[in-house]
Amino acid sequence: MDNHTAIVTGGSRGIGRAIVARLVADGANVVTCGRGPAPDDLVEGAVWVQADVSMTADADRLIHEANTRFGRVTLLVNNAGVQVEKTVAESNDDDWNLVMNVNCKGVFNMCRAALSDMAEEGGNIINIGSISGMVADPSMALYNASKAFVHGLTRSIAVDHGPAVRCNAIRPGWIMTEMAEDGFALANDPDKAMADALARHPVGRMGKPEDIANMVAWLASDQSAYVSGTCFTVDGGMTAASPLNPGLF
Amino acid sequence: MKLQGKIALVTGGRGGIGRAIVARFMREGATVFAADLTEQGSLAEHDKDGSRFIGMDVADETQVRAAMDRVQADFGKLDILVNAAGIEIEKSIEDTTLEEWNRSFAVNVTGTFLTSKYALPLMREAAKSGTSASLINFGSYDGFIADPGLAAYCATKGAVHALTRAMACDHGPEGIRVNAVCPGYIDTPMLQSFFTGEGSGGGGGNIDTLQQAVRDVHPLRTYGTPEDIANLVNWLASDESRYASGQLWVLDGGLTAQVQQMRL
Repeated sequence: MDNHTAIVTGGSRGIGRAIVARLVADGANVVTCGRGPAPDDLVEGAVWVQADVSMTADADRLIHEANTRFGRVTLLVNNAGVQVEKTVAESNDDDWNLVMNVNCKGVFNMCRAALSDMAEEGGNIINIGSISGMVADPSMALYNASKAFVHGLTRSIAVDHGPAVRCNAIRPGWIMTEMAEDGFALANDPDKAMADALARHPVGRMGKPEDIANMVAWLASDQSAYVSGTCFTVDGGMTAASPLNPGLF
Repeated sequence: MKLQGKIALVTGGRGGIGRAIVARFMREGATVFAADLTEQGSLAEHDKDGSRFIGMDVADETQVRAAMDRVQADFGKLDILVNAAGIEIEKSIEDTTLEEWNRSFAVNVTGTFLTSKYALPLMREAAKSGTSASLINFGSYDGFIADPGLAAYCATKGAVHALTRAMACDHGPEGIRVNAVCPGYIDTPMLQSFFTGEGSGGGGGNIDTLQQAVRDVHPLRTYGTPEDIANLVNWLASDESRYASGQLWVLDGGLTAQVQQMRL
């Protein structure tokens, strides 16, 4: 990834941070962003820009800063996302605005800003979707729908802006981030919940942020030169298995 | 009476799902041939449903040709073919013998191929009436995602899905619609066998507890009945679905709409 300028949105923690670390390790110049100030444990070598991807001006500024600092952006990884754990009936306008502004408009803003150069000069866009955009997580209605948007936008960009631009999405399954750990901690019987979750994963473990970063690295490389418009599931085999695994009952 | 005047043949017509389809077709006014290995099929009790029984192994080309000759002789056309005959071997590939693998493909895939192949001339004849003929295959949600210990079955159903699209493509211009129904958990002898099976099912556990647990995983909190499947097959067989072709119709009570339900 030498001489590449990459932007990774939402790179302060979890999957985004692992992607930043991997791209930096692979030699890319990486700019990452978040709504707050730079985190104390920002990946060494990465540049932090405080920006809210749901704001059009922030998205433009982010691209401009990366261009100015390292040269033209050649890789955009749209990772920033939020979730609201509610059904449609429970969701209010603020929930809608939060989820749609970050997960949908944010990805759109960043793609549009990056494409102002990439459409002519070429580039690579990788969006982080979710298995939840394919099959529903309960009480995650707006999040699920927002990720389906990401998958649809991914295909559209690939179709409209190829051959100059490649665009793909990754659909992570259960990745153990702080967010997921909180979920297990709240379970009635955390040990039992974890054992059950593991049994649903053919590979025998939950995902790590690095598993997603590995896929990003491949999609960012020339090894995937013929890959575009595709959404790859990286979930340890979970969605290949029926939810009705009688052995679990 | 949506199928008045139509001639239908249902393979596996004396099995769990096939029998419900035969009964529904009869009620809708069709003339129905129920093809199966034995007159009684997989059910312990068979009540006379008024269908015309054809003893036939779908994997046997001679028997399939003879069956279609009979339909030709009796009616000269076939409006509806339902390929519902199927078997499952409850094993991983390591435990599956070549003989079991071949038998799975012979019934589920080759049977669909042979029956369709020899029904096509009769279905083309039916399509000349101006309404499309309808060919309905049986896929499965297992053709999309896997149940453990059902490897050969999953593979055969994936093959049926692809064959369905190929047939729709080839025979649509002849006025023949081809669709596949992909059931989830349906209360049939096959499902009960799965519940009690050694490899993948109950493994000696309490079957009532197991059945309830399976119901609870479904968004609709129940598994389906053969009649639920017959409702969809009836629609696909009727002229109401005249623009439906080449599709895989998943009918599973919402089971596969959801991510794995972690027990948090």
